[in-house]
Amino acid sequence: MSSGKSKNNTERWIATILLIIGGIIVSLPFIWMISSSFKPENEILQIPPTLIAENPTFQNYIDLFTNLNFGVYLRNTLIIVALSFVGLFFNAMAGYGFAKYHFKGKEKVFYLVLATMMIPGQVTMIPVYLLLNEMGLINTMAGIVLPGLAAAFSIFLFRMFMATIPTDLIEAARLDGAGEFYIFFRLIIPISKPIFAVQGILTFIAAWNSFLWPLIIANDESLYTLSVGLSLLKGQYANNFALQMAGAAFMVIPIIIIFSFFQKYIVEGFTTSGLK
Amino acid sequence: MKKKSIVYPSILAVALSGVLAGCGGGESGGSDDNTLTVWAMGEEGKLLNEMTAGYEEAHPDVNVKVQAIPWESAYDKLLTAVASGNGPDVLQLGTTWVAEFADAGALLDLSEHIEEYPEFDPENYFDGAQTSMKYDDQIVGIPWYVETRTMYYRTDLLEEVGYSEPPANWDELKDAASKLSESGEDVYGLDIDLNDQITPFIFAWQNGFEFDAENPNFTSPEFKGALEYYTSYFKEGISTTSEGIDIVQAFKDGQKPMFFSGPWMINILNDQAPDLEGKWAVAPMPAQESNVSSIGGANFSVFHNSEKVDEALDFISYMNEVDTQLEWMEKSNTLPSRLEAWEDPKLADDEMYSVFGEQLENTKGAPPIKEWEKIAQELLATIERINIGGADLDEELEKFNEKADSLIE
Amino acid sequence: MLNQLLKGTVRNRHPFIFIAPALIILILFSLIPIMIAFVISFTDMDLKGLADWSNISFIGLQNYTTLLADTVFHKALFNTFFYVVIGVPLVIIFSLSIALLLNYGKTLIFTVFRAVYFMPAITNIIAVAVVWGFLYNTQYGLFNYVLSLADIDKVLWLEEPVMAKLSLIILAVWKGIGINMIIFLAALQGIPNSYYEAAKIDGAKRWQILFFITLPLLRYAIFFVTVTTLIGWLQFFEEPFIMTQGGPLDGTVSMALFIYQRGFQFSEFGYAAAGSFVLFIVIIIVTLLQFKLKKSDAEY
Repeated sequence: MSSGKSKNNTERWIATILLIIGGIIVSLPFIWMISSSFKPENEILQIPPTLIAENPTFQNYIDLFTNLNFGVYLRNTLIIVALSFVGLFFNAMAGYGFAKYHFKGKEKVFYLVLATMMIPGQVTMIPVYLLLNEMGLINTMAGIVLPGLAAAFSIFLFRMFMATIPTDLIEAARLDGAGEFYIFFRLIIPISKPIFAVQGILTFIAAWNSFLWPLIIANDESLYTLSVGLSLLKGQYANNFALQMAGAAFMVIPIIIIFSFFQKYIVEGFTTSGLK
Repeated sequence: MKKKSIVYPSILAVALSGVLAGCGGGESGGSDDNTLTVWAMGEEGKLLNEMTAGYEEAHPDVNVKVQAIPWESAYDKLLTAVASGNGPDVLQLGTTWVAEFADAGALLDLSEHIEEYPEFDPENYFDGAQTSMKYDDQIVGIPWYVETRTMYYRTDLLEEVGYSEPPANWDELKDAASKLSESGEDVYGLDIDLNDQITPFIFAWQNGFEFDAENPNFTSPEFKGALEYYTSYFKEGISTTSEGIDIVQAFKDGQKPMFFSGPWMINILNDQAPDLEGKWAVAPMPAQESNVSSIGGANFSVFHNSEKVDEALDFISYMNEVDTQLEWMEKSNTLPSRLEAWEDPKLADDEMYSVFGEQLENTKGAPPIKEWEKIAQELLATIERINIGGADLDEELEKFNEKADSLIE
Repeated sequence: MLNQLLKGTVRNRHPFIFIAPALIILILFSLIPIMIAFVISFTDMDLKGLADWSNISFIGLQNYTTLLADTVFHKALFNTFFYVVIGVPLVIIFSLSIALLLNYGKTLIFTVFRAVYFMPAITNIIAVAVVWGFLYNTQYGLFNYVLSLADIDKVLWLEEPVMAKLSLIILAVWKGIGINMIIFLAALQGIPNSYYEAAKIDGAKRWQILFFITLPLLRYAIFFVTVTTLIGWLQFFEEPFIMTQGGPLDGTVSMALFIYQRGFQFSEFGYAAAGSFVLFIVIIIVTLLQFKLKKSDAEY
């Protein structure tokens, strides 16, 4: 018994060491990004790069906030984040529809959904813009958010995951007289917490970084997002790297918070829902 | 229960459209009667906002709205504007994009207005900049600010190899660069940016090459000679094809003591290499037959379907007054396009800027044809095949000439 | 009677009500634009045509025939194939192994590492370009420095076509691990503990548990990650775009980068659209093949 335990321990140690080595390699650029945001411009492109700023400064952050129309950009970004969670919900519904119902032509429709992943976005940019223009959605938040509301990747992921939910469970609920939407909200969503957490993280990142549509749809800067605001700091020839790294570092903080918040659902997941 | 199933999505849909409509808000398109919309790029767009007050004071009935557009996506934004006609009134356009957008009919022909505004007289601007004003026989833009390429060099290091004055012609440049290269390991006497589209043409122009759109003559001795000179730097190891380190640091360390660049580099060097002060300078391009350099920068154009042409022209005219241009220069560190502005002591007496002023007298703009971008890219690919792929220069130029010929139709 | 009928249709409509919102958006903003782009691929649309549609003319299959003769496009096809064949298995193996390692424990350190391995997915692309540009720098780069300690000659990471492709693959694998890893982690949570316990009671060894319990139960997740990673890698774009612009000697041009350059640098929209549809068809074939292979296994 004790030998089994020590073997277990060694395994755990090996896993930890592997993770640490990999983790250092993986996180180097990230660390450089953060530390660069505290460097003066003349230190930033030094070779070899310094991991810790020699003359740390907050000037980049001060410049960042004085240069950015911060309040407006943040508000717009948050609205987009909120609305894209509605889209997440649509995707979950669609994923469930594909996973747990049978209807004629289901697979064909699903292939159609998948097909939307396969064309580079730039090719459809102008047609989408013209469509939104016809719909009178130029210079509106709706025009910015609508095209990205449904995503094939997300529908596919929900479908894959929800397909693993035992159908007996749903049938049992139906026999108890639960309606389809009741089942979805009260049974499926709680069971699917891990995948909602994953999708929540991805949705948040995408919305938080949204760049192209806010720029293209907006006719004035009142609809710009944080990403658009940050990219305004870039010059045609000259790049102020330190300022950009401060911007990037600032953009990453909320993502880390969201990640830590959601990841506990990825870890808990099924084990607490009592699903066998 | 069953009823609920339809109720849910409908509530959701109603709520969503409410939210979306609520967020849309405000005016659509900025088509108010007295708003003049201006698109400007990147940092300049943000700074331009601070410049409009002066104009609005003189024109109390006009409200200028500047929308800053990031450089990296400006093209996307312009495309959608061209496709839908939802453009601004006034548009900042990089000189290399003028031909293409003029060809598409996106820019208003200003010919009939040119005489109403003394500021628009082509004689006010550098010769090279006048190229970018015209497309076919139309006037499609007014130069706003300009840039040209000059030579940046380390005075102290050149002194060490016997050049107390910067190299003034091709032979001296080659000689100085080779001596610098030999002065230490990993030193590359002259840094040439292989991704820069205009540098090969600068050499060609200096060698007496004239581009003829009717009949591309890239096999002419002038062009060939220039490319032989250009590629010899790489063949002889005076310049490097590998990325190396960032030019500022390499300049600081003395590993790349000479390079060509534009006026923006002055500030970068001052900011990023403050301890180098006094050890570097700029000089006009070394000459072969001439010391022509390129001219670029940005123009103001009026979008083709603007309903406020007069206001737009007034605004451009105001921005191009000599005093406004000088104010703009101080704000944005870009160089004024007006010849007269260069008489101001702020430029004429500045040891760096005055070199640019001198060089600007002798510049050429990229030929105003819409295929230029493709030709320039093709040339870079050709040079890459010679430099890295070891291809034969004569053969490659033959092929390039044919390709260019087929591109221009 | 009527009531009955109504109830019947409502019940049958459920899947449609679930699917409708997302589907309508996809049809409007993806499928219709794709069809428009398809039509454009048979025209000579450029900037002039975009401004005034009367300047557009249909040129039949000319874009497609030009494409088939375009040597840069051939290179792009080959490079894309190269990226996919080497990159996709690496991404799957790495993200799966890391997820399995991370699933070992629930202590603080493992929680932290979940975040650490996700970092590349959220690192700013310019920071990525700067740092990796340094790592790969021939003369001053960290990689070559480390190799020099072991007396290995300088490697031309980004300056030789085949090596440059491999370097970009390493970078892309680094970037692609995060998202797939959390998908695997979420899927690992779906395996009830009782399975492992039962296996342990039966005396199963670790590797047996891995190969006979964990991996089979992860097959949905593996299938999903394979399909989406393949689609993503067939559209390989960002890495050559920021690191090499397709060079040296077109050695790193991918199909997506080729399309971008034709469309957004040269404004040859018709030609770019034709390129996209060739890519589209390749992706569809690859994806359908995967689904066909999967079919024989089980309902997903």
